[in-house]
Amino acid sequence: MNTGCENIEKNVKKITVLDPIGQPTGIFGRRLDIDSPMFAIHDPENQPRDTAEALGARKMAPRLDNLEGKTVYLVNTGFAGSKEFMEEVQGWFTRNQPAVKTELVHKKTSMFTDDPELWAEIKKNGDAVVFGVGG
Amino acid sequence: MEAEYGVPSAPIATARFADYVQRDGRSHGMILRWSFPPYPVGWVSRKTLHGYVEGNDPISNVPLMDEVIFALTYPLTEAEKNCKAVKRPERPRLLEPDTEADLHRLFLENGWTDGLPIVLPTEERVVEMLTGTDRDPQEYVGMMSVTTHEERLQYTVERVAVNAVMAGARPEHFPVILALGASGRPSMPSSTTSFASMMVVNGPIRNEIGMNSGLGALSPVNFANSVIGRAWTLMSINLGDMRPGATFTASTGTTINYNNMCCAENEENSAWEPFHVRKGFKAGESTVSLFRGWNVLGFNTGPPQRMVEVIKSIGGPFGGAFTFVIDPLVAKSLKEEGYADPMKLSQWLLDEMNPRFKRPETVNFIVAGGEMNPMWVVTDFSYFQTVSIDPWIPRTGVKKDERPLRMPEAVMCKDGSCGIPQ
Repeated sequence: MNTGCENIEKNVKKITVLDPIGQPTGIFGRRLDIDSPMFAIHDPENQPRDTAEALGARKMAPRLDNLEGKTVYLVNTGFAGSKEFMEEVQGWFTRNQPAVKTELVHKKTSMFTDDPELWAEIKKNGDAVVFGVGG
Repeated sequence: MEAEYGVPSAPIATARFADYVQRDGRSHGMILRWSFPPYPVGWVSRKTLHGYVEGNDPISNVPLMDEVIFALTYPLTEAEKNCKAVKRPERPRLLEPDTEADLHRLFLENGWTDGLPIVLPTEERVVEMLTGTDRDPQEYVGMMSVTTHEERLQYTVERVAVNAVMAGARPEHFPVILALGASGRPSMPSSTTSFASMMVVNGPIRNEIGMNSGLGALSPVNFANSVIGRAWTLMSINLGDMRPGATFTASTGTTINYNNMCCAENEENSAWEPFHVRKGFKAGESTVSLFRGWNVLGFNTGPPQRMVEVIKSIGGPFGGAFTFVIDPLVAKSLKEEGYADPMKLSQWLLDEMNPRFKRPETVNFIVAGGEMNPMWVVTDFSYFQTVSIDPWIPRTGVKKDERPLRMPEAVMCKDGSCGIPQ
């Protein structure tokens, strides 16, 4: 028989439940290798990984004193509108910082994939790099 | 470029992603000097883009290009030189005791559910769920993230059981849910394009646990299909670290994420070999096959030429892959037309489509349906993986309730009097 007290008991009696959330691993995904298939970006079997230790050891590069006479690479990452946006960035440098040489390059591989050939070119011929546009 | 090549960089992302990329940087232990133009950048006029470049970063309210110059030339701060990854705390096994009402509120308000009511994972219920496998509750099952780059979360048999309880599953469903966990694959990976997934079960376990492969196979008319599909979503949320805006960026989202088109293949009525056999598994082995794409593109009826017309007319947003879910009547007709092997049909469709890459394995067929009419639906889903369920089944067999819960079965013609070929 319903005594009417069931709801009261339900609202005051405390119960214990288990946490549904997974445990942190210190393992992160990273950009795809250059020869990875495109869909590997969402494939745990092919997704390259980094450890927190390896990532924590990475440091930012020293900054330049100024950009005058320097070469700045402008890298179109390949997202929608990036090409046109980076062309506008190049136009801004031409108008406002004519002493800065810019090289607009378009990433040959997908936005998810490593491009060591391009990075080596930038290292060899450039002083700084602007990436755009993520989103 | 910064760490490996020693070249200073100035990354630019739209302001919509400011929180996302900055949080990402903190978790990785590298603070990059971002600049954020307004958004969107895609599909806007050159005049608008010109204004973005000439204007301010809406987050900092500083001229965008001044920020870019600053990013490349201002000396590194001590914080930037000594940045460390933010380590996330270990999760507890048990939550603080509370009333049922408050715990429901806690789960909902923390984003640990799909928004629908859940079954609270009490110790008693989780212990019962664990009877659905012989595996040690603390055995490692896998790790998962809905993102490509963020930290993976790992989980044990017990944590999978917690999510299975929440989904409303019974122990008989648990081996399938563990196989999903073992795949490490989230059902709703983060992308602004709003990914969707599909899962198809083959083998003896389909019938043992009462899955639906017949009429309404993709509809909410079957207990097992509903709770197993939902469990994959809850695992993606809780074990795959799905947090809207933080790790999950689906712009429009998709309702397919609720249940992931969970169904079984209609092996009994299919004219073809079961899907998992075509992928190299034994007919007597139970498996779950996983697919991912975006949309159900359309439905239709008719022969292969009609299939070509439909996929040519709609295509996929990124093209290339199609998975058809076809009624058994369609498979029978196709076989009669000479396609005893569905791969032959895949090749023919590709030849007709003439895409850039002709890989017949990108066009797949699942047989499911109730033979009401020779209907088929086509999706832009790619096939990814088939996972064996058997390793998760108890040695004594699937653990069933004394009176297994079953929804009403569809009324079907069994004797041919309705004219449906047997």
